[in-house]
This record gives sequence, structure tokens and C-alpha cells, in this order.
Amino acid sequence: MLPRVAMAITLLALSAPAAPQQPAAPENTAMAAGTGQPRSPRNANYRILARLDPSARTITGEEVISWRNISNRATTTLQFHLYYNAWRDTHSTWMREEALATGESHGAIEPEDAGSIDIAEMHVTQTGNESNLSSRLRFMAPDDGNARDRTVVEAPLEAPVQPGETVDIRIRWTSHVPRPFARTGAIGNFFFIAQWFPKIGVLQDDGWNCHQFHASTEFFADFGTYDVQLDVPKGWMVGATGREMARTEAAPDRTTHRYIQEDVHDFAWTTSPDYMERRARFEHASLPAVEMRLLLQPEHAGQEARLFASTRAALRYYGEWFGAYPYRQITIVDPAWQSGAEGMEYPTLFTAGTRWLEPAGTRDLEDVTVHEAGHQFWYGIVASNEFEHAWLDEGLNTFSTARVLEQAFYPAYYSRRYFGGFFPLVFKDLPLTRDVDGNRMPSYRQFAESDAQSTPSWRYWPGSGGFITYDKTALWLGTLEHMLGWETLRRILSTYYERFAFKHPRPDDFFRIANEVSGQDLTWFFDQVHRTSNTFDYAIELETPDEDASTVVVRRLGEGVFPVDVRVRLEGGQERRWRWDGRDRWTAFELAGHARPLSAEVDPEHVLLLDVNRTNNSVSARPAARAAANKWSLAWLIWLQDHLLTYGFFV
Amino acid sequence: MTATTAFREGMRRTNGAPVLLAGMCILTLLLALPLALALRAMLEAHLGSSLVAEQVASRADYQWWQEFLFQAAGLGTTFVPSIIGFGAVLRNLDALLDNREMATTIAGVTTGWLLIWSFLSGGVIDRLARSRRTRAHHFFAAAGVHFWRFLRLGIVALLVYSFLFGWVHPWLFDDLFGRLTGDLTVERTALLIRLAGYVIFGAVLIFFNVVFDYARFRIVVEDRRSAIGAIAASWGFFRRHFARVIALYLLNGAAFAVLAAAYGLLSPGAPGAGVTMWIVLLLGQAYIVGRHYLKLVFYASQTSLLQSALAHADYTAAPAIEWPDSPAAESIANANPIGP
Repeated sequence: MLPRVAMAITLLALSAPAAPQQPAAPENTAMAAGTGQPRSPRNANYRILARLDPSARTITGEEVISWRNISNRATTTLQFHLYYNAWRDTHSTWMREEALATGESHGAIEPEDAGSIDIAEMHVTQTGNESNLSSRLRFMAPDDGNARDRTVVEAPLEAPVQPGETVDIRIRWTSHVPRPFARTGAIGNFFFIAQWFPKIGVLQDDGWNCHQFHASTEFFADFGTYDVQLDVPKGWMVGATGREMARTEAAPDRTTHRYIQEDVHDFAWTTSPDYMERRARFEHASLPAVEMRLLLQPEHAGQEARLFASTRAALRYYGEWFGAYPYRQITIVDPAWQSGAEGMEYPTLFTAGTRWLEPAGTRDLEDVTVHEAGHQFWYGIVASNEFEHAWLDEGLNTFSTARVLEQAFYPAYYSRRYFGGFFPLVFKDLPLTRDVDGNRMPSYRQFAESDAQSTPSWRYWPGSGGFITYDKTALWLGTLEHMLGWETLRRILSTYYERFAFKHPRPDDFFRIANEVSGQDLTWFFDQVHRTSNTFDYAIELETPDEDASTVVVRRLGEGVFPVDVRVRLEGGQERRWRWDGRDRWTAFELAGHARPLSAEVDPEHVLLLDVNRTNNSVSARPAARAAANKWSLAWLIWLQDHLLTYGFFV
Repeated sequence: MTATTAFREGMRRTNGAPVLLAGMCILTLLLALPLALALRAMLEAHLGSSLVAEQVASRADYQWWQEFLFQAAGLGTTFVPSIIGFGAVLRNLDALLDNREMATTIAGVTTGWLLIWSFLSGGVIDRLARSRRTRAHHFFAAAGVHFWRFLRLGIVALLVYSFLFGWVHPWLFDDLFGRLTGDLTVERTALLIRLAGYVIFGAVLIFFNVVFDYARFRIVVEDRRSAIGAIAASWGFFRRHFARVIALYLLNGAAFAVLAAAYGLLSPGAPGAGVTMWIVLLLGQAYIVGRHYLKLVFYASQTSLLQSALAHADYTAAPAIEWPDSPAAESIANANPIGP
């Protein structure tokens, strides 16, 4: 037995943070990691030392941010995101918005489930002089004035940072890892750690762009090099943004993993003793090879082929269509059940999402994997502002995902889960389509008028913002594809990718490129789909008052205006077509002297994917509604009879 | 009598009552049909003269389906894609086991069906207990005689089931399941806990179901008037013949599982057009007939097990009901000078 004093000393040593060395300031050049020419401005570079205590769920960290002012204005303050404070209590803007979105207020957050991030010290080294800003820090709420929100902190400087000038900011902080919120946190031995460190905002020519954390939007940050050392319990596997450059024994029971990645704007990581590691390689005749690393939950063993195939498909098709994936590796994280971490993207790392029973026909696994892998392009590389223009990454990516799924994984089918959601059943009679299901018309339809897309994303109604961001964009891009042809749309997207890789584009940048590449002024289209909340709904009627004359009446029921074709099929196989500019509330086409009409359709090629009511787009002289209604009501009758007999259990 | 013998006897008695089976099938159909007609009108109105109807008539059109559901209200919202084929069976079992809310119209027809079935079950059990033909008037007389007793029993059952589904189920599957799985990171473990929950809840449910079933059988077979007395007697029977009662219940459950599995295997899913449509619909109706058949077998087999344990096997206490003659017949009889 050890003497008591010796034991106390030993315990103290074990419990003390084992990150005694301070991180050196990162080098603000392309040569920092020996990679040659920088792809991005690399104006926000981080060196981080972090130690995870899994039992206390705390991270003690120290970072040095080497930040260069790349705007054209001097700044007298610095602003930082402290995202984990969104879950400190129920008074944060995130929690308030979440309550609005769900219609239920979250009960008090238990202390062990709360998230928090507390800055212990902040020093800024500016033109060789170091100043301690710790006592000057003040929380601010630039978006909603919520005095109880602590997700943005401002540090007034002693002297302005001039354009082009670099400062080093040394911060010591502690984070408490929450029970998962917004796809970050810990459950059991599974840790998925994102938005976990003090992160500098983006200084633009018009000032700081450093929004509070909102429930329906994500992030925005400058590019840089991240050099991060993660001290975790020995034996715990780690996956993180970037490449693992070193692994050292920090203590007998601790291991430090060092990850470095250049030209990224965020850093996320995961650790757990339960992961299984799998590796594969993406190879392509005209695209650079990529090492794929999969951290798999043991209960999902056997699904690695599908996860790799989905990632491969994303790297291949996004690469072929838009531009190559520029990094050497990608990490796929298969999150633990109930971690709430599935389906999230970070640079060079993303979380997929699958279930223990995941039949192939559902394609849910492929959908989420392709989507998150696709975010490497739309978000990771083309880094638009997700607080303000979330559609630029989520919408483009939803459209792209649907296209990849159609290319690589269709047919896919409707499925439903039973008995607590554990048992899936695939309905092979109900195939999904890209135009409707992939581009998510059913969910868009429900919230089509909730917000104009041009509204800053963080101001969308929290419960429906996602539908305007993801679904509406995918639908109008699909409409553009039908209007302009895939090759033209592909060139628009690849030009946008090429010009704005490692930059922060805005909506007008996209619209300008669309006009330029298509050779058309599409402003009328963007005005409607982006700048209004109008919906599109065209309908058609066929009036046949006598045998020799028929009239086709086309109506515009929605506020949205779109030029449409009208097609009438006549007896004898003839066909008549008209083009209507779609502006008036209605128009009519006479069919005098022609053969009798069999059917009429407005927008027969389904160009306008945003049309919220497809059923009224056509009319038949020989309606089959009765036969259809008979059939389906009889099928439903079987369900109802079975329902009665099931509840007959009680008598 | 063993459980297997009782089950076979139940089948024999049900086979001997084809009119009863047909009547029950027709009853269910008649109750469900008005709603099906209402839904039919909704579907027809939504499709109107659209060309989409041609696709909907020939196959399942998921895209149209979603559009219909978006615009649907009330009864229309129950017309969901998961009613197709075997999905209907799973959907209903899932709704029962997971205590899902019903649309108001469906709840209404379900309540109506349960009440009518409660009324008729006196006649049904009487017919199956006698194991010989009875006339319609005898069937309905038995139903009428036992209905008020069943109604009193039903009130007790309603209270118990309301407690089970209103309190025990949420506690077990929301509170306890949530607490036990809240920190789980392995789905398989959660699934096992869920299954354990179904077993526990199912056992409690079956226990009460058995007690109420045998109470009903005792009311008919022994002509009991007291619902409470019947429940107590049922409990006594259950206690004394626990193994056989449970074995018979499980046999009946297994028969349902076999029927459902057969439907799951044979059901081609969505009805197409022409002959295939009729094959699918008829197969569905065959499955519904099968369910009715098993419901009667369930009654008959349990009744025969109960009867086998009584002092006189196949004994039915209540005498065959004799209807009085009409006043006209009586007056003719009274006027007869030869009379008895």
C-alpha cells in the first residue's frame, strides 16, 4: 500500500491536465505543412492542444489563432463564436428557436447534459506586444439582442488591426461536452466533437460577420491551417479533420493524436473505444486518389461496402461534374445509435447514418452518405455563409445528391419502419423519383410560402427554414436543368465551383455565373424562386361544348409565373402544341376544325418541378378516375377490415 | 382436453358454422364499406379528369399519392402508402402495439364494430358452444340475452384496457424505455429492450384478455348473470388450467402468425390493372376471411377447453330459447275446443 501522501500526489498528477506545453503560433504561410501553394487565403490558422476527460465530459484546451485581416478595413475588436454555450441553459437563442420550431419548450438542461465553453484567458500579440484581453471580453447578441445568449464574444483591442496585418490570439478555455445537441456531443463512450473551440468570426469589408448560433442554421468561417493535438485515453480511436501526423504517449494511459489540415475552415473530431476501422481507396482515371477511412460501429459491420460505395459515388460524380476533391483523405464516421450525430459535414470528415436493419432498397444510408460527402464540395470547398445563405450549400447539395443517387443507386423505394422504428419494410411498388422525391417536393409543398429564400437563413421561421433551404433550391435547380439542359447547368455549377473554391461566394455570384454561362438573363427566374415566396401551380381544363369545337383553358393558380407549353393530343394520333408565357391568370386555345381532343396537358414535359399540384396539369376526355378510385378504395378496404379485426382483439 | 385437442375442436366447430363465418365477414364488410365509399369519392374527386388517373388506375403512383395526402383531410389522411399488401397488417399491429392514435372516423367505426361484435358475440359463443346448428332467431335471442351481461363485463374490460393503454403503455414504452435506452449507443440492445417491453406488456394484456374471454364464455355456457362473478370464475379457471389456457392462446396466436406470414409471402403488393388487380384484391379478402375464421376458432377452441373442464363436457346451461307464439297463434290455440 502506498503511503497516503504519495497516493495523494499520484492522484493529483493523474487528474491534472496533461497538456503542459503551449501551442506555438501557427505559421501563416503555405509552407506551414509543406504543401506548396495555398489554395485558400489561410488567414485564420489554428494550433490547438486539447485534452478530453471522458468521465467528466470536459475538454481543456489551449489554442493560438494566427489571424490576418483580409478585409479592406481596420478593426478595433475581435469577435469569436462560442457555440457550445448554446446549450448552457434554455435561454440561449438556439434553445428559444428550437422551442419555436418544435412547439415544445425544452425542460431545464441537467448540468451533466449541458454544453458550455468558458474562456479562462485570452492574450493577443499585436506588432510584438502582448496584451491580456481576458477581463475585457463581453458577450454580444448581434442578431436578436438576446442578453442571455453567450454564443458570441467580443474582445476590444488596444490598437486596431490594419488590413493585411496579422495578430496571434492565445486562448485557454474549458468546454463541457453536452449530451448531443445539433449533432455534437457525447453519449456513453461515443464523442463527436464539433464547434468545440473558440472560433474567430469572419471580418468582411462591411464589418464582422459573426452570428449567434441559431437552431436552423450552421456555420461560417475563414480558411486556414489547423494543427491540432488531441489527448485522449489510450486505446480510444480518433478520427478528425485532416491527416494524422503523429501519435505519442502523453501518459501511461493517454495518447496524443496530432492532426493537420491546410485550407479548411473548421475542425471536428470524434473518439470512442468502440470504433472499428476500415480503409479503402477512391481511384479514378481523371481525378486524384483519395484515402477513405471509415470509423464503423461494430453493430454495423457488413455495411462498410455500402458506406464506401456511397462515398465513392459522391467523390466520383461531384468530381466529374463540378471539380476534383482536393484533399488526400476523407473520414467517414458512423455515429453511435442515439448520438444524434448522424448526417453532418465538416472539412474532410463527415458523419453518415445507418441503422442495424437497413434494407438495401431504402437507400437511406446512401442518401445521407452521398449528401454529407457532397458537402465537402458545397460547404467545405465552396464556403458560402451558412448563417445567411444556407441554400447555397444545402440546396445545391440536395440537388446534387439526388442526381448522384439516381445515377448510382436507383431504384430506391418508399419504406416505413414499424414497432418503435426498429423494423423496416420496403414497398417495392413505390419507387422514388429524383424529380419529386430526390428534390423533396413533398416537404417543400407543405412550407412553400413560409419564407422568401432571399431572407437571411437565420431569420427563417425555425420550423420550416430547412424546407426553403434544401427543398426549394433542389426543385428550382431541377427546373433549371429541365429548362437549360444538364450540360449547361453542369457548366454553371462547375464554373461556380472553380471560381469560388476556397472563397465565400454570395447568391449574386451564383446568379451572375448562371446568366453568364447559360447566355440568358435568368433574373426573372431568380427573382421569383429566390426573392419571393410565391408558389407555382398551373391547371388545365378541356371544354367541349359540341363535337366540332373544343377549348383548352389554362389557368395560373399560383402567384409564380413561368412560361409553359400546352399540348393537346387528338384522335388519330395528332398533337397540337402552344407556348404560353404564363403571365395572365388564364388563357384559352381554340381547337375548332381539328380532330376531337383526347387529352390536354400544361407543362407536359414536367419542366417546372416547383409546380405544387401536378394532378391538375392534365385533363383527359376519357377520365379514369373512377377506375382508379375503385381500385384504391378496395385496397384501403382491406386495410380497414384488417384494422377492425386487429382491434377485435379486445372483444 | 389438451390445448391441441381444444384447438382442433375449435376448428371443427368453426368448420361446422359456415353461416356464422359468412355473417361475421359480411358484418365487417358492411361496417367498413361506407368509409371505403367515402374514400372512393375523395379519390375520384381529387383525380377528377386528370391524366394522372390513368397511371393511378394501373399502378401505385407514389408521387400522386403524396400530393393527395398533402391535400387530404379527415378520412383521406388514412389513405397512406403503407396500406399496400402486407404493409397493412404491419401497420395495424404496429398501431395496436405502439398505441397510436386513430383518425376520428376510424375510431368511430372501430367503436361501432366492437359494440356490434359485443352484441353478436353472445350468439356466436352460444352457437359455438352448442356445436350444432341454431336458427337465426335463436342466435339473436342469445345475443340479446347476453348483451347486457357482456356490456357490464365490457365496462370492466374498458377500464382495465384504458388503464393498460393509457398509463402502463406510456410508462413502459415512453418513460421506462426512454430511461433504459437514453444512454444506449447500440441499437440492437435497445431493440432487445423494446422486445422485452412487448413481451411484458403483451403478457399483461394477454392475461386480462384471457380472463375477460373466459368470463364471457362462462356467462354463456353457465348462464351467469353477474359480470363480476364471471370474472372471478374465469380467474379461477385460468389459475387451475394455466398451462393449457396459455398453450391454447399461443396456438391461436401462432395460427394468426402463420396466416399473416402466408399473406406476407403471397401478397404481391399494390394492385395493378385488370386480372392482377382482382387477384390482389381477392387475395386480400381471402386473408380477411382467414382472420375471421381464426377469430371464430379462437372463440370455439377456448369455449371447448372451458367446457371440457366443466362437470359435464359440452354442457350449456342456458336452455334453448323458446319463443312464445304470437298473440294470433295463441288465440287460435285457445280457441281450439280439442285443445290439450
